[in-house]
Amino acid sequence: MGGGPAIRALERIRRDHALSIHGVGLSLGSADGVDTAHLARLAALVERLEPSLVSEHLSWSVVGGVYLNHLLPLPCTEQALRVVADNVARVQDRLGRQLLVENPASYLRFRDAEMTEPHFLAALARRTGCGVLCDVNNVFVSCANLGGDADAYLDELDAAIVGEIHLAGHAVNDADGRTILIDDHGSRVSPAVWQLYAQAIRRFGAQPTLVEWDTDVPALGVLLEEAARAEHIAHAEAPHVGSAHAA
Amino acid sequence: MLHELQREFRVAMLADDAGAVAGRVCADGLQAHARLSVYRHHVFTSLTAILQSTYPIVVRLVDARFFRFAADRYIRTHPPTSPCLFEYGAALPDFLAEFAPSRRLAYLPDVARLEWAMNVALHAPDVVAVERAALARGPRIALHPSVTLLRSPWPVDAIWRANQPGAADDRVELDGGEVHLQVWRAGDEVLFRALSPAAFVLREAIAHTGSLEAAAAEALALDAGIDLAAHIVELLDDEVLIARS
Repeated sequence: MGGGPAIRALERIRRDHALSIHGVGLSLGSADGVDTAHLARLAALVERLEPSLVSEHLSWSVVGGVYLNHLLPLPCTEQALRVVADNVARVQDRLGRQLLVENPASYLRFRDAEMTEPHFLAALARRTGCGVLCDVNNVFVSCANLGGDADAYLDELDAAIVGEIHLAGHAVNDADGRTILIDDHGSRVSPAVWQLYAQAIRRFGAQPTLVEWDTDVPALGVLLEEAARAEHIAHAEAPHVGSAHAA
Repeated sequence: MLHELQREFRVAMLADDAGAVAGRVCADGLQAHARLSVYRHHVFTSLTAILQSTYPIVVRLVDARFFRFAADRYIRTHPPTSPCLFEYGAALPDFLAEFAPSRRLAYLPDVARLEWAMNVALHAPDVVAVERAALARGPRIALHPSVTLLRSPWPVDAIWRANQPGAADDRVELDGGEVHLQVWRAGDEVLFRALSPAAFVLREAIAHTGSLEAAAAEALALDAGIDLAAHIVELLDDEVLIARS
């Protein structure tokens, strides 16, 4: 968003590779609405880098002008759906393109939920024309933490709206004697998440896939192994192998 | 309703008071407070990490544990107001100046100001510098957005260098007198340079007046012997002058 070496490095990468711009700051779930100054900066960045995909999260971070630097949970209610849909529509109008909205990793859910998260995402896509970025690790982490069934979550998600997939490692922590999984992007993708990824590819096709690893980043060779494994699964499991395009 | 929930959630994050929002959370085998703590932990550790990466010399001077303690207090009283985290931490130098547990380290706020200026320089927008031929036509000018002019009664440049990894000599004379620094980005590199008082005034006056001629007059008033031609060459070589919009 600023100048200097970071943006120049991205411009060099952009010459040889398609970019996927993945935001964490738009706060699509804010009842206060989207920060227009931040949206303008994102629009300038998108114009400059011409990415092939732009995505954000089904979460909120801003209230009363304070940015809490976390993907905070939303209640799956009709009122929250209206707020997110208004914000997504504003972002898509400003950017002049489709946004993909990602399911977050959750550590709690609210009592007043009126629908499931896959239903919330499907309704959001219907109202705004946005797509969904399915983070398979987040599905696994959220279901483990909230007592859900990850296979059932993928089955419930509308396959037609998924346009990108994320994978990542998670940490296994203890909270008051109960296991809690933390989406920390700090290790290899777990075996269970690889299995879930194969199921996601069978359901959604070989969507562009990103392995997220931004805590304790390992040697490049480890990252390449993870990427190659994702590519192998995408080719092996996709319903139409000829159209596979995992990255 | 959603707005109320988000306000309550913010209180649970920054003021450790989960009373209001906890009642809205399903316990599901783990107490609501413990679930909210997972979020709070991330908010504080991630923002502390941002401050640590912007202020590594301050961390070294006060040690990591003390810094985490100060960062915890800072995050509660000065949470981010923008999602661009390279902009987070601007008020830490002033906060440290008022922070009772470290107030006897009188030089600490100015060391922090130097580190903040370096952070500003690193992320400043790219603007093309004025070239020699264009400057000769006497345009209205300004300093490049990467530039900070920093004046301190403490040798913050020497303190910074002595605390670099592998620094040969970590002793610093604290009573060496005032320092005047230009901090800026040259290409991809962030640099700082010690200036004479007159050279510092020359740059300050360029920022204030937009006129090289007026700035030169102010510098000459402070030091009649200043070699203006050499200083103008330095400003051009540093690429710190831009056309004023």
